Amino acid sequence: MDKTWKIQDIGKWLNNSFRAILKGEFLLRLDVGRYFIHIVYTFFLFAMVIWISLMIESTMNKVERNKAILHELEIVNTQKTFEVVSLSRRSSVNAMLEQMGSKVTEPKNPATVLKK
Amino acid sequence: METNNGIVKKNRDRIGVILYVVYVLLLAASVLLFVKIAGIQLFFNPNPKIERALRPVSRARSIEPVRGNIIDCEGRLLAMSCPTYQIAMDCTVLREEFAKDTKNGAAREEEWLQKAKALSTELAKVFPEKSADEYWRLIREGRRGGKKYLRIGKPVDRNVYKRICSFPLFNEGKYKGGLITEQQNIRIYPYGKLARRTIGFVRNNRSNVGNTHVGLEGRFDYELHGREGKEWTKYTDAGLVLDNDSTKVRPEDGKDIRTTINIDYQDIAWRALYSEIKEEADLEGACLVLMEASTGAIRSMVNLYRDAGSADFEEVSNLAIGRSMEPGSVFKTVTLMQVLSDGHIKSLDETIPTNHGVIQGVKGVKADDHIRDFERRNSTNMISIIDGFKMSSNYVFGTMAVSNYAKKPMRFIENIHSYKLGEAFDFDLIGLATPTIPSPKDKNRYWSTTDLAVMGYGYGTRETPLHILCFYNAIANKGRMMKPYLVEDVEKDGIIKERRGPALMSTICSQAVADTITRALKAVTEEGTARRLKDARCAVAGKTGTSFGTYADGNYTDEHGRHKYQGTFVGFFPADDPIYSVICTVFSKPTSKQFQGGGIPARAIKSLVNELYNIDPAFRPCLTAAK
Repeated sequence: MDKTWKIQDIGKWLNNSFRAILKGEFLLRLDVGRYFIHIVYTFFLFAMVIWISLMIESTMNKVERNKAILHELEIVNTQKTFEVVSLSRRSSVNAMLEQMGSKVTEPKNPATVLKK
Repeated sequence: METNNGIVKKNRDRIGVILYVVYVLLLAASVLLFVKIAGIQLFFNPNPKIERALRPVSRARSIEPVRGNIIDCEGRLLAMSCPTYQIAMDCTVLREEFAKDTKNGAAREEEWLQKAKALSTELAKVFPEKSADEYWRLIREGRRGGKKYLRIGKPVDRNVYKRICSFPLFNEGKYKGGLITEQQNIRIYPYGKLARRTIGFVRNNRSNVGNTHVGLEGRFDYELHGREGKEWTKYTDAGLVLDNDSTKVRPEDGKDIRTTINIDYQDIAWRALYSEIKEEADLEGACLVLMEASTGAIRSMVNLYRDAGSADFEEVSNLAIGRSMEPGSVFKTVTLMQVLSDGHIKSLDETIPTNHGVIQGVKGVKADDHIRDFERRNSTNMISIIDGFKMSSNYVFGTMAVSNYAKKPMRFIENIHSYKLGEAFDFDLIGLATPTIPSPKDKNRYWSTTDLAVMGYGYGTRETPLHILCFYNAIANKGRMMKPYLVEDVEKDGIIKERRGPALMSTICSQAVADTITRALKAVTEEGTARRLKDARCAVAGKTGTSFGTYADGNYTDEHGRHKYQGTFVGFFPADDPIYSVICTVFSKPTSKQFQGGGIPARAIKSLVNELYNIDPAFRPCLTAAK
């Protein structure tokens, strides 16, 4: 098969391209207008990626803030649970009842179970 | 436009030229930009500090799992995790800024110091170990000396932390007020000292104490701890956020441990024991264990020990499982079980000669004074087994061991092993001491009939209180020895993941033998050495035991004639249909006082039985309604 192009064609092509760039005709010569819609679409996709990425970042930031709030609430819950459970110790309850002048004391006899 | 030589020249209007110039400029700029980008990519070497600061760093963050809780048999929290806050102060905040401000710097510095003084007053109220003046001096000197970390007080809980955050100066935050807080998760115990040694703890690996895993916390750390998670974060303009491009490993929270402990019973047992021993200066420690007879579930385990630096008794050592000593007379029941099971005696009413309390064929054993008293009181030279058991006669049990097993001592030793009194069985806590049982086969030790005699009444061997309790529990359980246990099950979010529960270790005697021994044990509490328990709210069957600890020279007394007592009461209740078995042991320092098993241990158990009787559902009488 015959060679249809020469090495010097590359130099010619580069020279033409450079001249076209200088004249501002490079894209017109390539007829890029045919792909205009694709270029716009790609641009739109890039813009969307950046925008979604920013949105995700913002959501993640919100997640971190809420996580911190939840953590705080968990601590409060644990602290309150601890305080409540601490008060339920049998001898503490007895002491508190006594302190308040209550007549309620430990049972003196076992409870009687009624059966049918 | 055509020129003279035929070359066509374009007409350039003014706007076209301007646009062309703009185009060329932009083109030049873009070329420069490309060249610069290529230069940066290929050759530029930025300052590492600036590079680090500008580059969004993704870093792995470990997510701590929530440690599981330890709960009692009714679901009450015994141990849980909660954060604490260590407060510190950076005394140097704004100091340099004030120094640079030539106009108002001095006045602002003075204002800051005044606030620090007010802060000192408030700090003294929360942390009274230092006065307000001391805090003020520390802050002032710290500021002068450039101290960036001044530790204030001990870690505090959240309520106190919130209060501290509202103090003058500290309410201005980290950069103006110098407030530094370090949060760390710690284990908290809502019931304070109750069962603390049984619940245990896990020490930090950096701790210089070797024993880092203690009690249930230590033994079940692999279940309680859970598994760490991992996530990647990155710094953005909005701060540190999760890196959504990376993977995340969720942490696996620790499982909960449901114990057999009933915290109400633990409280009652603690009070029963503590009230008996708190005034006894010569006591070193005491323990009390309550076990459910049919299952082996330990409902309370009190260990009170007088720490070297403390005047009071604390839960700092698990005496019930960790201290093995010569059990004393509580071991006579072991001898009794052997002679009954092996058919050497048929009835407790069988008699043997009193022989003035001297065990025949045995040298070096003191004559039993109780027997001489018995001979005198009853004008007899025969004594029944039951009478010997009631008065806890060393002679009777030494004689039974020697007369029946002198020719086959290994049978006696094997029996002890078959009662699980010679091994440290698998238990839910680390540190169960291995009992010591001498043997004729031990070539490092000289064996004689004396060994057999003293073993017959509770010396020569070393047992932990838990081993003794297990043995008595088997009697209560008609010969079935249950494995003692502390962990009912392992749970996750209330769902049982692993059920542990009761396990049979072995059957150590027949029901008939168990019944016969129960009769003997009832006689001890009714007429014998544990008479103190006679009027307890329900009938208790049990045995007292008193032994002496040995000194470094192998003697039972020191140069002042003082003994180290170990007094024990072990038994079960109600005697006829046992629900619980119980042991109480007291350990004394070298003392001239007496700490017998029938004293403090019997009193503590009586107090425990009386309180339990009123609240335990198993003791409730039933009333059937008439139709």
